[in-house]
Amino acid sequence: MTLTLTRRILLGSALAFGLAGAAAAEFPDRPVTLVIPFAAGGSTDVVGRIVAERMGQELGQQVIVQNVGGAGGSLGAGQVAKADADGYTILMGTVATHALNPLILKQKPYDPVADFAPVSLLVLVPNVLAVNPQLPANTVQELIDLAKTEPLAYASSGNGTPLHLSGELFKAMAGVDITHIPYKGSGPALTDVLGNQVPIIFDNLPSASGHIASGKLRALGVTTAERAPSFPDVPAIGETLPGYETYSWNALFAPAGTPPEAIAKLHDAAVAAMADPAVAARMGEFSATIVASSPEELAEHVKAEMAKWEPVVKDANVSLD
Amino acid sequence: MDLLSNLGMGFSVASSFANLGFCLIGVLLGTLIGVLPGIGATATIAMLLPITFQLEPVSSLIMLAGIYYGAQYGGSTTAILINMPGESSSAVTAIDGYQMARKGRAGTALATAALGSFFAGSVATFLVAIFAPPLTAIALEFGAAEYFSLMVLGLVMSVALAHGTVPKALAMVVLGLLLGIVGTDVYTGTPRFTLGITQFSDGLNFVALAVGVFGIAEILRNLEDEHERQVMTRNINSLFPNRDELRQIIGPVLRGTGVGSILGILPGGGAILASFASYTIEKKLSKHPEEFGHGAIAGVAGPESANNAGAQTSFIPLLTLGIPANPVMALMIGAMIIQGIVPGPSVVTDQPELFWGIIASMWIGNLMLVVLNLPLIGLWVKLLTVPYFVLFPIIMAMCSIGVYSVNSNVYDLFAVAFFGLLGYVLSKLRFEPAPLLLGFVLGPLLEENLRRAMILSRGDPTTFVTRPISAGLLVLALAVLVLVFLPQIRRRREEVFTESEG
Repeated sequence: MTLTLTRRILLGSALAFGLAGAAAAEFPDRPVTLVIPFAAGGSTDVVGRIVAERMGQELGQQVIVQNVGGAGGSLGAGQVAKADADGYTILMGTVATHALNPLILKQKPYDPVADFAPVSLLVLVPNVLAVNPQLPANTVQELIDLAKTEPLAYASSGNGTPLHLSGELFKAMAGVDITHIPYKGSGPALTDVLGNQVPIIFDNLPSASGHIASGKLRALGVTTAERAPSFPDVPAIGETLPGYETYSWNALFAPAGTPPEAIAKLHDAAVAAMADPAVAARMGEFSATIVASSPEELAEHVKAEMAKWEPVVKDANVSLD
Repeated sequence: MDLLSNLGMGFSVASSFANLGFCLIGVLLGTLIGVLPGIGATATIAMLLPITFQLEPVSSLIMLAGIYYGAQYGGSTTAILINMPGESSSAVTAIDGYQMARKGRAGTALATAALGSFFAGSVATFLVAIFAPPLTAIALEFGAAEYFSLMVLGLVMSVALAHGTVPKALAMVVLGLLLGIVGTDVYTGTPRFTLGITQFSDGLNFVALAVGVFGIAEILRNLEDEHERQVMTRNINSLFPNRDELRQIIGPVLRGTGVGSILGILPGGGAILASFASYTIEKKLSKHPEEFGHGAIAGVAGPESANNAGAQTSFIPLLTLGIPANPVMALMIGAMIIQGIVPGPSVVTDQPELFWGIIASMWIGNLMLVVLNLPLIGLWVKLLTVPYFVLFPIIMAMCSIGVYSVNSNVYDLFAVAFFGLLGYVLSKLRFEPAPLLLGFVLGPLLEENLRRAMILSRGDPTTFVTRPISAGLLVLALAVLVLVFLPQIRRRREEVFTESEG
């Protein structure tokens, strides 16, 4: 309570200051803060920093990255939802903050649709189903057959993460039972699969790609409907289980009520940033597919994602307080 | 020799004018933030990440690595001078280092820490160069069961950290374990002991806890008794260890380097144990264990060497596997990805200049640190003579900025205030904060790995004794337990020794 109050006073004075300036200059006349709702160093952070750097050049104002990690992205997203709707505070949202958390959390800190003004869906990031090379399964079908005869376990970056739910969706569609082993992040999960402590992993393709390329992990399938351009030899899981499709995504959101002019400026800057060949090349190395959508398309995307994940979350019986 | 030519290539990369400069910037920044209480390497590296866009990959990683091990050096300075450890590793240095400072031996303690760190850093750097690939194989042998047993060993050893009574130390370990439980349960997602505050859903912040129970509590104690502090500042004499003291630190430095190098390669929190383990070993081996906790020089030399060796070897899983051993390493991975380098086993073969350049820069960086820090010791010690009414508000302000910068979380500041008061009450009751910190750090790892091992073994507890590494660690833990809980045995043995010597 005290916190919100103090923050409101601070932001209020910042706003008053900003408005005084706005009479003279157009948005943006001071640096924009991009809140990344995860700790520095992860894939969302990397995407955010690459985009922020380039967007700053487009806007003529620096875009400052602020990491507000915690509660699976809910803290940072909640902070932006309550921030002043002036376009100076924006969020790097993900499938976790705008589809999974709102479905999973019993206490909802924000409404992913009503509390935000969509700006642009930036990139789609494939996930991958990979196994330790010692596991006698070379294809998705062989893994399903193996899972029916012996007990297996899979590692993920944590409870309620997109990777956990990718695994649960796989189990439901393949009709197998594989024990879920959650870790605190993707790094420790990968370590245990590399050391064959756990045979299977669902991971973001960017974080696993080095190990797949070097043969320390055997990729059985990517989770996107199409194969990933960076790994054309790895089939899509959907080729074995028709209709299977999951991926992580990153999108920019502003608080609901942000003036349309500010949204338009942010959107144009984001689209221009993603069109930069240097940014595109980095995203390609990262196995991320550039979308750079319109605000309306992002709004539709959020609704579609929530509709897609709701039954999975229910069937997997995942819920967090 | 492959190794020699590789190292030669590394040194030629690292000693280019630009890279020497970035190495210097890194270690300078690292020392500075290490000395500022509460501001850690994690926050600094996170803030500097965008700058690394414009740099060459090698230069940016050399600089970031420099910040990391520079902070390890600098962190011990505040631990010794004002009892304010910024990292779990320097919490141990604070125990005897601060007592040395109170007796006017702050300069000796700082010099010991710097020399020990330099030696350990140099040795560990060569270990990284020679053994990185085979050591990685050992790290991968560690599964959940092995980590659980390692943490059990660590907790048993933590009892030896205390120089008070064993029951009080145990009580502090248990309190630390309970505090470590605060946050979201990894397996079920249920929040535990968060008092309904979402900001605590990822647990209490280590820096907030450490700054509170050590630093703020110490300030409160000093405010209570200004006279004692004057004694401490007036008695500063020699800055450098004399020949006798140098002889005393050789053994602890060598053993600390060994212990730290081995534990540093384990990605699941092994490096955290390094300084604690070294302290326990030194106390057990010492002819005067009663000096520990009252300013034993071995209690500074051993843990400081161990923590620096561990800091260097924790680069092994990063560089050979792309696996982060701690949050700083996770940021380094982020920095590599930004540069378009996919971290993983292929880095050594695809980017040999990067791999060997970083290793060579570590040795150069360590040399720079010792050259920088030895002359600075006099200056740091003079800081102690700053009047307390000036020093105390500055320390408080720096701590608050530092703690807040980690997560931009106001509740972390509330935690500092709370744990400061708790630490003060505990010190009045003669409870030691060090075992509490160890319990806090190890508790979550202990629980996570216990439950993971049980899930993987499908509920069969024999997994801990049937896996050889795990069984070995448990036997070792049992041995330490016997040594701690049967002091009569030890006393009798000591009598035997004195008799035979006499």
